[in-house]
Amino acid sequence: MKLKETDANVNLVIKKIDSEDGNLVKRLSSIGLIEGTEIQVVKNDKKMPVLIYSRETLLALNKKDAEKIEVEEV
Amino acid sequence: MNNRIALLGQPNSGKSTVFNALTGLRQHVGNWPGKTVEKKDGNYNWKDKSYTVTDLPGSYGLTGVSDEETITVDFIKNKNADLTIVLVDASQLERSLYMLSDFAFLNSPAILLLNMMDVAKLKNKEIDADKLSKKLGIPVLPFVAADGKQYDKLKDLIERELEKPHLLSTKPEKDNAKEKFAWIKGLLDGVTSSDVKDYQLSRFDRIITRPVIGKILTILIILLAFVVAMIFFIPFSIIGKCFPLLLGAPLTSLLSSFHVHSWLISIFSMLLPNVLYFSIAMAGFVFGVNVVFGYLEEVGFIARAAYQFDRLLSRLGLQGKAICPILMGFGCTIGGTSATRVMDNWGQRMLAMAVVWAVPCSAIWAIIPVIGSVFFSSGAVLLICIAILLYVFFMMWFVSKVFAKKLVNENSQSGMIMELPPYHKAHWKHIMKESSLKGFDIFKRAFRTVTIISLIFWALSYSPSGNVENSILYKVGMAIEPVTRIFGLGWQTFLAFLSAAFAKEAVLGVLNAAFVGQGSLLDATFNSKVIAVDSTALVTILRSAISPAEALAFMFACTFNIPCVMALGTTYKESHSLKWTLIISLFYVLSALILSSIIFHVASLFLH
Repeated sequence: MKLKETDANVNLVIKKIDSEDGNLVKRLSSIGLIEGTEIQVVKNDKKMPVLIYSRETLLALNKKDAEKIEVEEV
Repeated sequence: MNNRIALLGQPNSGKSTVFNALTGLRQHVGNWPGKTVEKKDGNYNWKDKSYTVTDLPGSYGLTGVSDEETITVDFIKNKNADLTIVLVDASQLERSLYMLSDFAFLNSPAILLLNMMDVAKLKNKEIDADKLSKKLGIPVLPFVAADGKQYDKLKDLIERELEKPHLLSTKPEKDNAKEKFAWIKGLLDGVTSSDVKDYQLSRFDRIITRPVIGKILTILIILLAFVVAMIFFIPFSIIGKCFPLLLGAPLTSLLSSFHVHSWLISIFSMLLPNVLYFSIAMAGFVFGVNVVFGYLEEVGFIARAAYQFDRLLSRLGLQGKAICPILMGFGCTIGGTSATRVMDNWGQRMLAMAVVWAVPCSAIWAIIPVIGSVFFSSGAVLLICIAILLYVFFMMWFVSKVFAKKLVNENSQSGMIMELPPYHKAHWKHIMKESSLKGFDIFKRAFRTVTIISLIFWALSYSPSGNVENSILYKVGMAIEPVTRIFGLGWQTFLAFLSAAFAKEAVLGVLNAAFVGQGSLLDATFNSKVIAVDSTALVTILRSAISPAEALAFMFACTFNIPCVMALGTTYKESHSLKWTLIISLFYVLSALILSSIIFHVASLFLH
């Protein structure tokens, strides 16, 4: 399942980040998001960035990037 | 010998608070050699020794390819610092230690500052600093950057460490993100407990993140911020205005009594006091904007605004944060350009400034209806204002189409990954100090720039008899009228178009001087607010001299020309790039003239 399509208030773990976009992988990892990271989706409204909580930090990711992140429920 | 310290930390780690508290007013802001990245140095004395502090450009890590990260890595690799203070946010320890895991590969002496211990305490987070220090091999100091009393301890620690520096005794096994977070996990084992509870948005966050209400609320808060910035600005403006009002007449009579040439008299009694007024007012505005946005940024509001407008602005190649400068731009372009301070990198900032220029400032919104009502019915004026507003959106899109690719590289264009920091209390002392520094800096630069430009304009428009027709500007104007006609403008409107670049308010005064011939052009430009424009005479003359098509073309040309020179100066100051300031200026002047030409020729078909 893609992070873009998730519902709010579920706990997920990142399975895969589309590695074609090397910069995305770098930017995500510097803010703490790598494969295996546990995240909580806080809010995911239509046409708005996804709000997630991970490593004690509230993060906003835009939908385009959220589409490249494969997640799985824990 | 000087002791050299560097500060390193992620955004929101409180790095600038520490930098300001250590160095106070003894700061120097410049550029990194050959780069557009801002370089901040400062120094302080402690127990008979002097220390220099370099604020390393912020980013989340050191593995990227951005200018900021390369500068930081080179700075440390070339041993330009004897000691690096690595700052982390104690309330988000796991994530913010990532910077240290990157730094570990540089093998350089360091201390770790656990900032925001107060926030961590609020979250019931305990951190065993001694244990962490033993694991790392470097000193670890729990800290609250906003608390001025804690700095003695920090300065003592720095002194000790410079005598006997420590290197990190551990580093991640491999230079990749997975190993780095594994290393951090190992470090924190037994040092702190991480908070595993589900996160709940605060009540305010639940409202401000809602799609529609959130956007309306965000816009209202930014507009309110503008009003507050204006309140800060008013006293500066009043004090500034005193110079031309109080100095003008006495200086004139004093200098006349010495039989000084009237050229010099008008320089000292009119030009310089007015330049002083402009510079003070401008500094006051920049001060106000910095206070307000410094506050909004520190409490965490800017990040929420960015969340709201990211989708919309990403179409312009900008991040959500650009919403602040754009809305500020409706008040004042200078305010808008200095509000780009909230943007993360240079390319985004420069692009945001270019886009902000397309937003007509309040002075334009004040003169357009006045000029419009001379030629058109009030209904038509309303339509023109709406057309201008629509063109604003087009122009913003157009500017971003032209410049986005060159200014913003793909990697920062691809979208927002942004932290929404927890709401903090604002540290007023810090905000005030930072804003005063910015304001004073702008004052110095503005005074210089505006003096030079004023002198040129003054020389061109000077006429001994006070009659416009004797000035160089008039002669040049007459000579180039065949050319300005291509743009749909007569020489008088073209002159007003040019002087609008000096101060948008000047347009009415210049038209008055050029057409009615009362008062010199100089008076008109500088004292446009003071001189009462004889409106009935002006209206009659304007109507007979300017066709409605020319008037319409003129209004659009003025609105979408470059902003005033003060805004140009601020853009140069904030972007550190003369090249791009000039390129974008040229783009605006040309596009305004082309627009004017199109409007004139099309409108001539319909309006008579």
